[in-house]
Amino acid sequence: MRARKLLSEGEGAGLELRAELRLDAFELAIELAVPAGSCLALAGPSGAGKSTVLRIVAGLVRPDRGSVRCGEVTWLETEAGIDVPPELRHCGYVFQDYALFPHLKAWQNVAYGLRGEVRGRAERRRRAEALLERFGLAHLADAHPRTLSGGERQRVALARALAPSPRALLLDEPLTALDSRTRATATRELASVLREADVPTLLVTHDFAEAATLGDTVAVMAEGRLVQHGGAADLAARPVSAFVADFTGAVVLSGVARPGPEGLTLVDLDGGGDIASVDHATGPVVASVFPWEIALEPPGETRGGSPRNRLAVEVASVTPLGSRVRVGLEGVQPLAAEVTAASVRALGIAPGRTVVATWKAAATRLTSS
Amino acid sequence: MRALRPFDALVTLALALALCFLTLPVVAIFAGTRPGELVASLGEPGVLDALSLSLKATLAALVVIVVVGAPAAYVLATRSFRGRSAVITLVELPLVLPPAVAGIALLAALGPQGLLGGWLEDAGVRLVFETAGVIVALVFVAAPFFLSQAQAAFSAVDHTWLEASRTLGASEARTFLSVMVPSALPGLLSGLALAWGRALGEFGATLIFAGSLSGVTQTTPLAIYELFATDLTAALALSAVLVAISGALLLSVKLVGGRVAPGLLAR
Amino acid sequence: MLAALALVAAGCGRQGPAGSAEEPLTVSAAASLAEAFGRYGEGFKGGSPRFSFAGSDELAAQIRQGARPDVYAAANTKLPGALHREGLVERPVTFTTNALVLAVPADSEIDALSDLERPGVDLVVGSPSVPVGSYTREVLSRLGAQRAGRILARVRSQEPDVKGVVAKLVAGAADAGFVYRSDVVAAGGRLRALVLPERLRPQAAYAAAVVRGGDRPELARRFVAGLRSGRGARILRAAGFGPPPQ
Repeated sequence: MRARKLLSEGEGAGLELRAELRLDAFELAIELAVPAGSCLALAGPSGAGKSTVLRIVAGLVRPDRGSVRCGEVTWLETEAGIDVPPELRHCGYVFQDYALFPHLKAWQNVAYGLRGEVRGRAERRRRAEALLERFGLAHLADAHPRTLSGGERQRVALARALAPSPRALLLDEPLTALDSRTRATATRELASVLREADVPTLLVTHDFAEAATLGDTVAVMAEGRLVQHGGAADLAARPVSAFVADFTGAVVLSGVARPGPEGLTLVDLDGGGDIASVDHATGPVVASVFPWEIALEPPGETRGGSPRNRLAVEVASVTPLGSRVRVGLEGVQPLAAEVTAASVRALGIAPGRTVVATWKAAATRLTSS
Repeated sequence: MRALRPFDALVTLALALALCFLTLPVVAIFAGTRPGELVASLGEPGVLDALSLSLKATLAALVVIVVVGAPAAYVLATRSFRGRSAVITLVELPLVLPPAVAGIALLAALGPQGLLGGWLEDAGVRLVFETAGVIVALVFVAAPFFLSQAQAAFSAVDHTWLEASRTLGASEARTFLSVMVPSALPGLLSGLALAWGRALGEFGATLIFAGSLSGVTQTTPLAIYELFATDLTAALALSAVLVAISGALLLSVKLVGGRVAPGLLAR
Repeated sequence: MLAALALVAAGCGRQGPAGSAEEPLTVSAAASLAEAFGRYGEGFKGGSPRFSFAGSDELAAQIRQGARPDVYAAANTKLPGALHREGLVERPVTFTTNALVLAVPADSEIDALSDLERPGVDLVVGSPSVPVGSYTREVLSRLGAQRAGRILARVRSQEPDVKGVVAKLVAGAADAGFVYRSDVVAAGGRLRALVLPERLRPQAAYAAAVVRGGDRPELARRFVAGLRSGRGARILRAAGFGPPPQ
């Protein structure tokens, strides 16, 4: 018992997993390592098997072959016949629809995981309410889940998962069910919670932008396999396949926003240069643009019309995707543009060539980070 | 709009017909006698015995049904195993057995010359002619009502709630008690009400298996049957009491279900 | 839906055209007559009747409540007589007698009434209002209050009709029961009949009557007549029933 307590302090307790499982449509075969205190975003289209990975780590599904280790503790080792049941693994799990217990009040939900370790209803209630306070929900402690909004439920679910001081955190599409307005705040909050919790976190999402914002690294999964694993920007700029290129969608640039002329917002990009956006924001932001909104021009040309962002970049890679071409660009931050094969030929685009990446301020979306 | 009218009229008529057909006999029971006669008839000796026996035996049967049936329904609802549908069919078989057949089957299995007869006798267990036999017969005919409702209720519980409970440190047993049962409570209570109603009304199986003796094995339906031949007023009175009790039962289960599980009607 | 309901009602109710020869008779008869009447009905000219077997008292109560079988046959004369006085049936015809016997399983060690007084004996009788039950109590009352009391203390079930008593005996659940001789005959070799002493024997006479308000009174009368003499009488004799009292 004592040994378990020590380890749960999370000293260097990273998450390692290896699993093979035959599913209906395909075979899941995956190997991942999440360093202590960091967040790995597992991204991919629906049905890729991402949630199954979470369930394997939590012990809700048993793979045909595989192992799961958290720090020094082995939770699963099929070769050795070790399979620790979910209730002994101490994984915090936030389900896609939150799975709050409808017959319990909010504080009772949060306190549910404390029953084994904290004696006394009053003490459990105190801890639950403290945690709810941290999430700004103390006034809803006695409410039933059905009376809460989507955002409130998400926070209660998070609080519930964190209450028993888990050794690892598993999040299944934590932001998907929220409406777009709540999502911005929730993303910020979740990022800060993850930093605070400081346990290895595996987060599943089908939205690459979300993965990029919350994950320290992003692993793209399709049909049960890992396709690419790395930093978000790398995946967008140097997709290993057309699939990853399609999936990563937006280009993501980080910087600091400030008000600019004519009602636009200027973003000083980290590393130099600035771009404009019609969105309003101040402070640290993440600017995103879709590659197909980025046009490439030979250096030196200037066109009129709507405010445009222009960045001098160097072509790093050219990846054909059927009739389109994904061009990886190196500038002050990595970018990617998607253009027609004809443009590539016309402009003579090849690795090493200098071009100007240009896109509209209206196409630049800002998210506070 | 015009096209809807005839359809509306038809379905409303169907409802009215069904309502009349189902409530008329019940109303007739109460309309057949004067309250004074009813109350007086209740005072006759066999009548109170029959009522008290019915209540005791059905309650005992219910306890058995819930204690054994709830976990059984849980297994059926949550685990898949080979032969599961066959097991479900077998467990629901008494639902379609005519009560007389049920009684004969029980005799063939548990009677003195039945399959387990010798074994029971050695163990000193007597069922035929005993109240215990009545309870056994009631369990046999009423359990499937509870089991099928309970199984449906358990199946309908969102399995992610159960998984969430496990990830929060609760064992399967604790998850069953803390999440599964409270969530399935309306269905469980409804199954309980159905089973109780069925048990209260059971006639053929108890008569054939346990016999009919006032105070020991003559349940209310059996007493009503006997009274019908000799004292119609008393038969009506006892029928009215049985109807009233069954009605009160159904109502109270619905009320309790509504109070205990308000959070489960809307997620 | 209304049309469907009407059809069903017409089919079940006695709404056929008057005097239709195709419709079989409906006969309510005492449970003890089940086997004999079944055989009588098979060869009955006019079609095999639809039978309803139950305790005679239950059947009489149904007729009082409005049921209208074509024929009512009871295991006593009292019930048909009462219905006749109430104007519900035509004059009853006494068509056979039956002997009340003490039946035991074929391999039983019981062979006298006095054996019933021993503790541990499981006795099954008919309920007081059904003919076999009232005959039983008649017999026991002739034994005197003390002996009757001891024997009645052995009663473990009061069945609504005689076939219930028979079933308990055949299933081996009861050690002894009071039934009719015809029932022992019908049970094949499974039961043994202990004949009651002459002085105790009750007068178990069966009477049948045509129910008023039916639409085949002629056919019904033929059915009843055949029970007293003719094919029905022969079948009854073979089943263990006695001749009608003279």
